[in-house]
Amino acid sequence: MGGWNAARPVTVASNDMAISAAARRDRIRSAIDQYQARLIRFAARITGDLESARDVVQDTFLRLCAQDLDAIGDHLPAWLFKVCRNRALDIKRKEGPLEPLDDTSNGPVHRAGIDPERLLEQSDAARLALAAIAELPAAQQEVLRLRFQEELSYKEISAVTRHSVGSVGFLIHTGLQRVRRRLRADSDVRPRLEGGRIDA
Amino acid sequence: MREQMDEVKVTAYALGQLEDGERAELEKAIASSDDAQRDVEEIRAAAAAVREAFRSVPRHELRPEQRQAIEAAAARVHAAPRRHSRLLRVAAYTAAAAAVVVAAVGVSLPSLLRARVSVARRVEPALPPATANEHTRLARQLPGRPAATPMATTPPPHAQAVSRLNGLAYLARRTDAGVKGGVPGGIEGGVAGGVVGGLLEERAMIVGSLDNEAKKDEFDHLRASSAPFNTDAYDYVPENPFVRVAQDPRSTFSVDVDTASYSIVRRYLTGGQRPPRDAVRIEELLNYFAYDYAPPDDGRPFAVHMDAAACPWKPGHRLVRIGIKGREIDREQRPPSNLVFLLDVSGSMAQPDKLPLVQSAMRLLVEELRPSDRVAIAVYAGSEGLALPSTPATDKSAILSAIESLSPGGTTHGSAGIRLAYETAVDNFIPGGVNRVILATDGDFNVGVTNQGDLVRLIEEKAKTGVFLTTLGFGMGNLKDSTLEKLADHGNGNYAYIDGLTEARKVLVEQIGGTLVTIAKDVKLQIEFNPREVQAFRLIGYENRVLAHQDFNDDKKDAGEIGAGHTVTALYEVVPPGVPLSVPGVDPLKYQPAGRPGAGSGTGELLTVKLRYKEPDGARSALMEVPLTDGGQAFQDASPDFRFAAAVAAFGMVLRDSPHKGDATLAKAREWARSGLGEDRSGLRPEFLELVDRARAIRGN
Repeated sequence: MGGWNAARPVTVASNDMAISAAARRDRIRSAIDQYQARLIRFAARITGDLESARDVVQDTFLRLCAQDLDAIGDHLPAWLFKVCRNRALDIKRKEGPLEPLDDTSNGPVHRAGIDPERLLEQSDAARLALAAIAELPAAQQEVLRLRFQEELSYKEISAVTRHSVGSVGFLIHTGLQRVRRRLRADSDVRPRLEGGRIDA
Repeated sequence: MREQMDEVKVTAYALGQLEDGERAELEKAIASSDDAQRDVEEIRAAAAAVREAFRSVPRHELRPEQRQAIEAAAARVHAAPRRHSRLLRVAAYTAAAAAVVVAAVGVSLPSLLRARVSVARRVEPALPPATANEHTRLARQLPGRPAATPMATTPPPHAQAVSRLNGLAYLARRTDAGVKGGVPGGIEGGVAGGVVGGLLEERAMIVGSLDNEAKKDEFDHLRASSAPFNTDAYDYVPENPFVRVAQDPRSTFSVDVDTASYSIVRRYLTGGQRPPRDAVRIEELLNYFAYDYAPPDDGRPFAVHMDAAACPWKPGHRLVRIGIKGREIDREQRPPSNLVFLLDVSGSMAQPDKLPLVQSAMRLLVEELRPSDRVAIAVYAGSEGLALPSTPATDKSAILSAIESLSPGGTTHGSAGIRLAYETAVDNFIPGGVNRVILATDGDFNVGVTNQGDLVRLIEEKAKTGVFLTTLGFGMGNLKDSTLEKLADHGNGNYAYIDGLTEARKVLVEQIGGTLVTIAKDVKLQIEFNPREVQAFRLIGYENRVLAHQDFNDDKKDAGEIGAGHTVTALYEVVPPGVPLSVPGVDPLKYQPAGRPGAGSGTGELLTVKLRYKEPDGARSALMEVPLTDGGQAFQDASPDFRFAAAVAAFGMVLRDSPHKGDATLAKAREWARSGLGEDRSGLRPEFLELVDRARAIRGN
């Protein structure tokens, strides 16, 4: 995977000396604890395999080490997901087959993360939702995942994917519309619950 | 579409993603509607189902040695550079673009990302989210100046009012109160780019808002009726005034290669109506035509050409033409293309972000084609047919007029059209070339093979012929993206969603045509006039493109892009010293000395053009300077190109009933144009004469 695993050279600015090495390490540690599993899951969906996803996430955190943590502040999740996504896309581009123009195919990569055995444990609503989502273009699935799996805000998703916030809203809306239609169609064949409400 | 916007907002509300102000507003509206409350509940239930669906997957962590490496790095680095990450800036920009609805589904990611950022970047970060739509519209009006006052009949372009109206429209629909009509808003933001003003007008022209259910009938009705369109919705564009050189010797603007206004004007005139004056943008009329400027030979991306002659509509005044020609790029490596457009011209495509956008995008593509390329246009609606048999790109006027003559109506019969398109592509197959069917639709296949499975099988079978399929989704109202995507998947092809001209250009021209090579971006012009030679000047057109002088050297200020081989033309009307200034809008200065000529003023130069541009991937601009000396040429001695450009400007001024039109009449414009037909390599100029004739017939002179 070339040289990008190595830590990058870092310029040290004097005005940031207040943070001790130990404090800094603690903050990086807690970021790892909090985000590593989410980032690996996210990266694996792009790269298609777990090991390169781990590499991507390692690189992401190494880059974080070179950042001014205070400047990132509240933007940490968006920063991590964005860097992680870009690294993962780089890998995919370098190693995967070239896919000119088309980035919307619902390839196996984007279905990864759906564990068939778990489907049995899920509610009907969740299974219907999954079926509806599986039909969506990959770019839209990604946005939905960032929202409902990673719990990023519209703004954060926008920063990660570079869709505009409005576009993120549109993609989430139309995605949910699809789910709603499925749920509604399903509840129409069953006795309708009171008030038209569909319980998940 | 407006309704879709509102629904998007309701979804954002249900998910807790609205900003405080908007949230409070919508909350109130929703509280008063049972239907809306049910919507919110349903959205939340769907969200819960999605969350559950995504909850799963075993947890994976970094390997211990990876983690150690990170922690070691964390300890090594005591502090970090105070460098604001790009991400933070992007976050700020995109946050401001909250109301910009751009559906981005498909297209190669890198280009998509670039497109997103460029949309977001054009919105001033300081604006609250709700104003983004309106702002992009206004920003186009007069960059660097306060927004123009809208005509009294237009609703105030005040963002809060707009968002309130949008909210009301949503509720009205939910309660079937049926509010229809000219509520501004919609996806203007999505087509921000700055290049697409024409679309806004086209949108406004067709109708303020088209209800999804009723739009086909409404549109047919509108087209049939001779009643004037709702002209109130055009942005009021005040004309550039004459400026005294003593007062301000500089004129600064951004280049514009948009030509949409010409199509709009033509549509009105061929329909027997006079175009609304603010739909007539003279720079877009000028740039519709190609002029014979030599490309640069000094390694620069541009050549600047200038000439001056007597102003034909104002005795004593001079007319200066500035022509910019982009470097030509050798396109020989590109294999020849055999493109068959398959266009959905059903009623549902009538909205401005659908068929008119397809047409604009195709015009861009046609400009970039090489002689070895071929284009055919198949259409489908109530019946299918060939609007243009496969035609070599050398016959540009035939292709352009076929594009122009497309008009929506009827229902969609997708499968017959697809068959026809493939047959056309196969008949004109270029071995070793790019053979591609480009399907542009909102995906509303409602007649013929409606069974998706059959359609997919048909496509699959056709894909074996070696012809590729690109599907382009347009419009948000009833876009059936899964259909399109499936078709593309099975047709050896790709799928893109087109939300505006910027995106259309990227997809159609850069990716499908593979032809448009941007040679420079943020191209700005600043002209400095010599006070010894010029008393006053006026930039004709480019009202929407005027920049503040200080923005010329500010590399952070965006401006237009120029592609390989593009030309840009601007005209200045110049008043020499000693000529009485009988022009409106100029008062003499009371306190200032009448110009203190600088060192260079004795050169006899009329003006100096300064041009700033950035390389396509550059961040710093480069500067070119070219001076012009007026040789005192008479109008009849000027080049045919010069005379033709003057005629186009005069035509525009007459249509606008400009206070600056001087002696210009349609008859004179026609005469000047006729004398300026010249070589006319693109073959578009005779049509201009016809257009002038139509205008004369309408005006009766």
